Amino acid sequence: MSDFYQSGIITTLHQLGKPSLERIESELLGYVKTRPVALALPALYSEFEGPAMPGIVQELAKVKYLNEIVLVLDKASEKDFKRVREFMSPISTEVKIIHNDSKRINEIYETFARNGFNVGERGKGRSAWIAYGYILARARSDVIALHDCDIVTYSRELLARLCYPVVHPNLDYVFCKGYYSRVSSGLNGRVTRLLVTPLIKALEQLIGPHDFLAFLDSFRYPLSGEFCMITDLARVNRIPWDWGLEVGSLAEVHRNYSPRRVCQVDIAANYEHKHQILSADDASKGLMKMTVDICKSIFRTLASEGVVFSDGLFKSLLVSYLRQAEDTIIKYEADAAINGLKFDRHEEAMAVEAFTRAIAMATQVFMENPMTTPLIPNWNRVISAIPDIFEMLKMAVDEDNK
Amino acid sequence: MMDFLNLILDPLQEVFLKFKVFLPNLLAMLIILVLGIVLAKLVKAILVKSLIAINFDSWSDRMGFTTLMRKGDVWGKPSATLGAIIFWLMIILTLMIGLSALKIPAIDSLVTEVFNYIPRAFSAALILAIGYVLTGFVSQGILIAAVNSGYHYAKLIAEAIRTLLMVLILAMAMEQLQIAPSIVLAAFTIIFGGIVTALAISFGVGGIDAARRMIERESAGKSVEETKDDIDPL
Repeated sequence: MSDFYQSGIITTLHQLGKPSLERIESELLGYVKTRPVALALPALYSEFEGPAMPGIVQELAKVKYLNEIVLVLDKASEKDFKRVREFMSPISTEVKIIHNDSKRINEIYETFARNGFNVGERGKGRSAWIAYGYILARARSDVIALHDCDIVTYSRELLARLCYPVVHPNLDYVFCKGYYSRVSSGLNGRVTRLLVTPLIKALEQLIGPHDFLAFLDSFRYPLSGEFCMITDLARVNRIPWDWGLEVGSLAEVHRNYSPRRVCQVDIAANYEHKHQILSADDASKGLMKMTVDICKSIFRTLASEGVVFSDGLFKSLLVSYLRQAEDTIIKYEADAAINGLKFDRHEEAMAVEAFTRAIAMATQVFMENPMTTPLIPNWNRVISAIPDIFEMLKMAVDEDNK
Repeated sequence: MMDFLNLILDPLQEVFLKFKVFLPNLLAMLIILVLGIVLAKLVKAILVKSLIAINFDSWSDRMGFTTLMRKGDVWGKPSATLGAIIFWLMIILTLMIGLSALKIPAIDSLVTEVFNYIPRAFSAALILAIGYVLTGFVSQGILIAAVNSGYHYAKLIAEAIRTLLMVLILAMAMEQLQIAPSIVLAAFTIIFGGIVTALAISFGVGGIDAARRMIERESAGKSVEETKDDIDPL
């Protein structure tokens, strides 16, 4: 990214020129003495068998400023867990693995359930939440960074740039979201390009200027899975456990902090990860499921801030979205053309049609029950109901890691 | 030849006669065991269901009993664990009653000893349970009071008092169980005495100046009050 334009109501930290990674890392090494950083990694065992995780581990082994790494391992047997421990051994930073399928961790989830907490189904949301809990329980870090474990193009520069704005004592940011371009031979990131951005524009058109929409619109890549935050935020934030995780988390950040203390940072020149299938005919999986969950999360957040949704508004929204998305396709076609990238206009239009159907489904679900979007309660509430939960969680993880 | 055969058959006959006398006892024991196991299973099932119905697990989570279990690396549900404890206690009890049905003097005395020990075990368990809850309350109260008073080491003080109280309660429980009572008493006296002596010495040596200042302030306050009294009638 060569421009330095500040768009929206949050701060954008661009990658200008070629900043030295060594300089950033050496600065971080100084800052973390007073603001230790924990890295949370929600991972599936299958990601260790693919190309992404070996590269990530190789890079993390070179990182010196991290205080602890908390890996939440899902869909793994006892043997897989042992293999992953071995796999993570080249990393010199202390690594703790939360094995989601272990007897002890399952009992922790049972404890939540019997005390009336719905922590949702397996997935990134629940894994991220339990990682926050464990980091809070240990109380050894002031900052939490999180990134996905399916990044094929991972470099430690991504982590350094992600942590820098929150760890730097003079910058005073509480939350930092990563952004990057999703370019290979063509343009990727369909859900952000063709759903979220046009949907926000359509909503702004229909309900007028709105703080949350302006906040969401400020993010260049609102669905990126990479962010860094202070631990206090992990304590007060409620997060969705479904695909609405990213948007829902941003809604909670918006609710609890001023946009002045939120920033986004360019973390990678290119980013490649596992692609989801569109699944246009089945709304229960793939990008369609993602779309429905994201829309529900946005509608619920807006409703909680006083926006009144009606059948008429939703009907207009579908038409308005379609127009916005079609305009967007034209813009991206031109962008692809000048950069010599492949661009299948028909495929993009098909995706927009599918997204329109998904929005219609989301509006229907929302009208039937506006409370359906699941949110995992924040840790402050959990502690007030189960005062010893941190101690139990710590014991479970530590025993599993012995 | 007959004499020789009698030599072999007589002991066998004797064993057979003894066994005939013993057989009803054995059958009684087996029936007691079977009935006991069935009853224990029934009681366990009813108990666990009742505990779940009254939200015992959730209550245990809040009161810290679950944490206590986890510290002992027990990762079952509190209700299921309590059910299992009661089940095994009933099995032991059944076994004791069953063995006493055999009417063997050596076993009878063992059974009597076990039954005599049960009240002690029960009171030790009660001491531990009540002590654990009380320790939690006291240390929490001290923590809140110390934090409100602005003590820097509030958590350390609360943890130290919790540990001391737990040592005291553990000693009481072990004394109740009659496990090496003289050693427990001696160890407890040495540890507690040592701590109190250490505190006394550290306060005595380190707090001379503070104590002096307090006494001086106190006496200065008194003299001011006396002066006030003198002036008041004027």
